[in-house]
Amino acid sequence: MTAPAVVGRWVSAPGAAEIVTGDARYCPDIRLPGLLTGKLLYAPHPRARIARLDVGKARAIPGVHAVLTHADIPGENSYLYAEPDQPLLAEDEVRFQGDAVAAVAAEDERTAAAALAAIEVEYEPLPGVFDPLEAMREDAPRIVAGEDNVIMREVYRTGDVEAAFAAADVVVENTYRTRWAEHAFLETEGAVAQLDDEGVLTVYSSCQAPHRDRMQIARALGLPESRVRVVTPYIGGAFGGKDEAHVQMHAALLAHAARRPVRLIRDRRESILTHVKRHPITVECATAASRDGRILAVRARAIADAGPYTNATYEVVNKFGEFIGGPYRVENLEVEKIGVRTNNPISGAFRGFGAPQAAFVYESQMDDVARELGMDPLELRLLNGVETGTRMYTGVVVRAGDAMKASLRRAAELIGWQGRTAQERQPAPQLRRGWGMATILKGSGLGRGLGDHAGVVLEMHRDASVVLRSGAADMGQGIVTVMAQLAAERLGVEYDAVRVVRADTAQAPDAGASCASRQAMVSGNAVLAAADSIRATLLGLAARKLRRDQAELDLRAGEVWADGEPSGLTVRELAERASAWGYPLHAEHVSHFEYPPDVPEASYRFSQEVFQFCTQVAQVLVDCETGQVQVERLVAVHDAGRMINPGGVYGQIEGGLAQGIGYALTEELVVSEGRTLNPSLENYVIPMALDIPALEMDVLEFPEPVGGPLGAKGIAESPIIPTAPAIRNAILDAVGQPLYELPMTAERVLAALDRAAPGAEDG
Amino acid sequence: MAEGGIRCTVNGQEARFEAGPERTLLQALREELGLTGTKDGCSSGDCGACVVIMDGQPVNACMVLAPQAEGARIRTVEGLAAAGGLHPLQRAFGETWAFQCGFCTPGMLMSCVALLEANDRPSRDDILTAIAGNFCRCTGYQAVVKAVQQAAAEMRGGEGPA
Repeated sequence: MTAPAVVGRWVSAPGAAEIVTGDARYCPDIRLPGLLTGKLLYAPHPRARIARLDVGKARAIPGVHAVLTHADIPGENSYLYAEPDQPLLAEDEVRFQGDAVAAVAAEDERTAAAALAAIEVEYEPLPGVFDPLEAMREDAPRIVAGEDNVIMREVYRTGDVEAAFAAADVVVENTYRTRWAEHAFLETEGAVAQLDDEGVLTVYSSCQAPHRDRMQIARALGLPESRVRVVTPYIGGAFGGKDEAHVQMHAALLAHAARRPVRLIRDRRESILTHVKRHPITVECATAASRDGRILAVRARAIADAGPYTNATYEVVNKFGEFIGGPYRVENLEVEKIGVRTNNPISGAFRGFGAPQAAFVYESQMDDVARELGMDPLELRLLNGVETGTRMYTGVVVRAGDAMKASLRRAAELIGWQGRTAQERQPAPQLRRGWGMATILKGSGLGRGLGDHAGVVLEMHRDASVVLRSGAADMGQGIVTVMAQLAAERLGVEYDAVRVVRADTAQAPDAGASCASRQAMVSGNAVLAAADSIRATLLGLAARKLRRDQAELDLRAGEVWADGEPSGLTVRELAERASAWGYPLHAEHVSHFEYPPDVPEASYRFSQEVFQFCTQVAQVLVDCETGQVQVERLVAVHDAGRMINPGGVYGQIEGGLAQGIGYALTEELVVSEGRTLNPSLENYVIPMALDIPALEMDVLEFPEPVGGPLGAKGIAESPIIPTAPAIRNAILDAVGQPLYELPMTAERVLAALDRAAPGAEDG
Repeated sequence: MAEGGIRCTVNGQEARFEAGPERTLLQALREELGLTGTKDGCSSGDCGACVVIMDGQPVNACMVLAPQAEGARIRTVEGLAAAGGLHPLQRAFGETWAFQCGFCTPGMLMSCVALLEANDRPSRDDILTAIAGNFCRCTGYQAVVKAVQQAAAEMRGGEGPA
């Protein structure tokens, strides 16, 4: 007989009871005595010189406790995600609509708004640069003085691309465009800062990286990090948009200046105007294939619009290039990656980190190649797909790649790929039905050569209850659940016995950012290692008590097991013994993301080496009169390595699919001359409950051999990646017209139909 | 307008709050009554994070001016659990992962409670229509449908889903 394992079981999140009762406190819910309202004054121009800035009148308003400009910042006036080129408060120039020029703290919302209105700023508008190609010209104005407008320009090359193109039977060449996309996490960015009697500044932060926030806050205030504490309350979503700090430093500066606690929350409009967006990327891509369907070579050139500041542009554009060949055996590949400053909205991290744009390109190319060859898109993908042991065009060897073809086959089976042609393709005169697929890979972890580690502290008490302290922020993605399950599994206690302390830098070691689908793996491994240390102590005590060899014993469901049977000796009795006799039942462990040594020197820089594979297939109905695309079915098959928390895995997939449908069809920030024209949830169109079809999901489990806790892989990013190209390919199948720009709005679909039949729609 | 502000019933208790001309029911609930379970996602009626039940109907509290609440019976997420424990819908939400970050949950729950009180056997379409104004960025609404059907079955007395 076997006791049920905690890993792989549907469990509720540790905070579920608080969330459903309304007791869970997010930043806007925090109440402190004497709490002031903070607000920021944002630039009204995308590019302007600040000729005069006078806050005298604002400071004189009764009830206003602090008004700060760049001159009032005691430490460094910059963010520091990568490069310190973005000011917290602008000095002589504003460079995009999201630059703040002043910060205020006042008794209430109304007084704070009055203070903002009383700040006198004279701007001299400057001509902005809104086209990356224009920004790349030698004579273009420098967006940031002293810095090149080209943030990065790198070429990666492998094999003999020229020769492969020369030998190709078929070459497909297209230009793709993607646009800015908005995270729309439901809780906008916020922070609450409080200075205590001992001079410690505590900042409650809706964030993804509490320890990096602490560094940035200390740096801005000129304080040692020992005097800054960052606590994560409940966090209302992030998706990459809270990876870099937002208002944490401003709230801290205001609380420090006012000597009163300050809460600073962006309203929805401010949120959309200021935080990073998914990079718009223009890509020229050529794919070479042989008559028999082998992909011989890929060449791509990508220009990404970074907005004015570096932020995550290097990393995102680098990841774009890393995946531009897709999950395919491509021996000859060349990709030029360019990131350029403009006065447009700032771009940065968003779920997928460059991979969604790359997948839109390579999976569209695959279907265009399939059409050119007259081949089934499924066959073409199966023929070229990577497998376990394939050395990728990045130089990385795929350690667990069987999920690539397995996910293709399973998704095709679920949608009825072979039988699809028997279905009605034209259910009404103006309607066309079609099917399309996309399959992708996405790495987990920050990448080879980068510091990628996570620490946890684990402690079992004498009653066998467990406290787990981790610096990993949970924004809803579920890392606290995964960590609690892994600890319970190894310590042989019930899942409910493990309490996870929400990330707090005063209590937990650094776990790095919750990004790059990394926490389940790197923090998961740290939990296993810490738990195994306590487990060894418990088993040692059990071996003595039962007079058995330690290796024959196991801890399950609160008991010591021997020979596959419960022994009657409980974990609680062991914990009591350990406590009575001074055996330590606490452990701290720092885990490092594991990379094998077998990569050639010329491999892709900062390559990821654990891959999420997945395939999605869409069935769409296109209305040729209106251009509307209805997604009738969406099948998604994902590899999780091994599911630790099935509820979380399926949750991530369905959420990614919903976001993917939006990215494919409707979500577009409309930006004109550096100004966002639709900064609201009304006008930035996100699919709601009635817009999403029944999602058909399946999860495969091909264990990751190295570095996955119990074989698990990160799953967070991949679900959003294949959706847009799957829908694009389904539209192509339905109407015979390819689209090369996201989102595929009704207008763009109609334009594609018009191109096919010029004049046909004129009457 | 009543002397001393607005009078109404919130979760079965008499409540009073200010009646400023720009004040919304959402602000009154969160700031004066300290009922921060109801969330503010947009302040413009687009996201449904602030849905409460007012005289039996789900409404966006950010779109209700405080004086409109005079004499109304208002229910918020804080009033869902009874002395006997969580409402079946609250339990089902936790068990089925009908949320991830949880910020949409209070409003989503109130829309679904209003539905279940009018319809004890809601279809998938009934549920999607009931939550059509509740924006969730983490899920794809599938788990919400599952949770509501699970709770409905339990409330009817252990029958299978509709």
